[in-house]
Amino acid sequence: MEKKEIESRIKKVVAHVLKLDEEEITQDANFIFDLGADSMQSMLLIAAFEEEFDIEMDVEKAQEVQTIGGAVDFIAEYL
Amino acid sequence: MYRCLSDKEIEILELRGCSADTWNTVEVKDTFLPERLRNVRFSGKIRLGKNNGKTDFNGTFFKPSGIFNCDIRNCIVGDNVYLSNIGTLANYTIEEDVFIENVGVLVVSGVSTFGNGHEIEILNEGGGRELPVFDRLSAQLAYLLVIYRHSRKFSDTLKSIIDRYVRTRASEIGTIGKGSKIRDVKTIHNVRIGAFANIRGASLLEEGTVGSNQLAPVFIGEDVSASRFIVLSGSVIKDGAIISSTFVGQGVQIGRQFSAENSAFFANCEAFHSEACSIFAGPYTVTHHRSTLLIAGLFSFYNAGSGTNQSNHMYKLGPVHQGIIERGAKTGSFSYMLWPCRVGAFSVVMDKHAGNFDTTDLPFSYISVENGKSVLTPAMNLFTVGTARDSGKWPARDRRKDTEKLDLIHFDILSPFTAQKILNGIKLLERLHADTPKSREFVLYKGVFINRLMLRTSKRYYELALVVYLTGQLVKRLETAEFKSLPGIKKILQPRFTPVQEKWVDLAGMFAEKKSVEYLMDSVVSGEITSLDILVSRLQAIYEEYEEKSWSWCLAILKEWKDFDLESLSIPLLLEVLEEWKNNSLKLNNMILKDAEKEFDQLSRIGFGNDGDEKEQLDDFENIRGKYESNSFVLGLKQESEKTEALYSRLSGRLKELTGKQDGTFTD
Repeated sequence: MEKKEIESRIKKVVAHVLKLDEEEITQDANFIFDLGADSMQSMLLIAAFEEEFDIEMDVEKAQEVQTIGGAVDFIAEYL
Repeated sequence: MYRCLSDKEIEILELRGCSADTWNTVEVKDTFLPERLRNVRFSGKIRLGKNNGKTDFNGTFFKPSGIFNCDIRNCIVGDNVYLSNIGTLANYTIEEDVFIENVGVLVVSGVSTFGNGHEIEILNEGGGRELPVFDRLSAQLAYLLVIYRHSRKFSDTLKSIIDRYVRTRASEIGTIGKGSKIRDVKTIHNVRIGAFANIRGASLLEEGTVGSNQLAPVFIGEDVSASRFIVLSGSVIKDGAIISSTFVGQGVQIGRQFSAENSAFFANCEAFHSEACSIFAGPYTVTHHRSTLLIAGLFSFYNAGSGTNQSNHMYKLGPVHQGIIERGAKTGSFSYMLWPCRVGAFSVVMDKHAGNFDTTDLPFSYISVENGKSVLTPAMNLFTVGTARDSGKWPARDRRKDTEKLDLIHFDILSPFTAQKILNGIKLLERLHADTPKSREFVLYKGVFINRLMLRTSKRYYELALVVYLTGQLVKRLETAEFKSLPGIKKILQPRFTPVQEKWVDLAGMFAEKKSVEYLMDSVVSGEITSLDILVSRLQAIYEEYEEKSWSWCLAILKEWKDFDLESLSIPLLLEVLEEWKNNSLKLNNMILKDAEKEFDQLSRIGFGNDGDEKEQLDDFENIRGKYESNSFVLGLKQESEKTEALYSRLSGRLKELTGKQDGTFTD
């Protein structure tokens, strides 16, 4: 899957989970500091990415992902 | 030995303003000095001990022993006692080295049980769960008395055992134990006071027992009002606390205007500022803040955030509802629950919940409110730094100094009790995931909404914790054992009890197989257990079986879950289990560390470096809070991970040696 498509689907998921407009979400946006994800929402995002891409991520490593761009690279490894 | 007063002694006493209904009923010891008494009025039978010494006033100052300005009736006064300015002192045995000054009334009137046997309306304010309090009450006995009401025969028989004990506590004479100090108290009525108690400035103590002793003295401080109470060793009640119909166990701290009625507080509870009504505060229940009301609930290892509140009254049939917050749970600031609710172990409740829910099968969860609905995020609290800290915090905060610790406490966070709930949670989440269409955002379960997305992920978190626990129990047994062969390992791992998946319960701090508790109940009903002593020793036996029975339970689960059994055990399988333990333990620790890291992030620095730039903010933060890398908890957890790695290397090395040496064939 192209990284561009991954990014687009990630943004869609993030917008849905965090109740944001997709346009507000940039590639370098930090999940916590820019997008306002709290601990529970961070867990929810991991679950939502897993469903979106039909993958099972290493939660410990997934927790280290800070930005949208980081998520794209991380998820790309599973695809 | 006591003797009558001589004429000379009576003459001296009368010259010093003393009088008696008749001097014939006043007896003294040989070394009695009449010069050490002034303005004392005696009536009834009086015995006075030696008074030629000094009495400890406050650990630093001593006053010459003696009796001054007192009205004394029917009392035995021990050696070297100092009594001064006591309006009325009646029907007490005052043991040696006691200091009492400025007390209005210190009286026993009629036969008193000193608070023993008084029934408090606990847990359900509407009644039906009355708990007879007494001076040997433990959290476990209270749990059996209060919670196990499904068998009336058991409740009645158990109560009759307690009644028999309570009758032994009745007397017309009270005791003030050796070395106690009582100062500036208005009224003490029908109160038995143990040794080395320190009572200073209390307003009213009525119908109660102060179970103090030298190892674990009790302190009761200024403006305390206590009626119909039992306070056990090592506890402190001070600063205007008001308690009525309340039991205070060992090592409890109550103060700062806290008020409680119809409540029981067991080992190491802390209660300040706030209010309690009809609560069963199991060990380590903590409430520190003014606007918190705990009502009609069962708690243990619980921390109430400020403004925590519950309702037990729906303005229908009265205050008849009750709630259960299982061990280790917390409620956030201004959280509210509408009883009845049952909160699963080690969960965190936030926000105001207007509906009833039961999350017992989903422990370690976050329960919050979203758009007015109660929303549960399962397993979320497994990885929080708070839960990890708790495991070390509680044993370190055990204030009980008494030789006999009445409450039997198991501290483990992961145990058969919590692990069975995790197992239930795994099965439940699996079922909900299978049954819920993708179009649904939430699934409703027993009053809480769970985000569908979390069903699969949370199940994996639960599985991780379960693996850590089950494999950890196996590693614990191999860790210190010497083994040279596979049969030797099997011997080490052999359980004392047959591995069975029994249900486990938490008896207010003590884990036990439900079967063991039921057997105990049967023994009470059948008359096999006839006394409090036997009952206490049987509970102790259950307590001591915990480790062995836990292991049997783990083996039963490992068999079902991983097809692990001792019969077909092999070195490769052990190596596999060992690796699973290491990997999952490290993963769990790393996730907790990740959570700890958040305590040092950019958001945590808000409020630091008030008037400066970003650098000043960081410097201020690091000077006050320190750095993540050097935080003691973080270092401790990292060390734990290193130990895990080292233990894994050591054990796997030994197991591999066995494989190499014996080529897979083992003899003991």
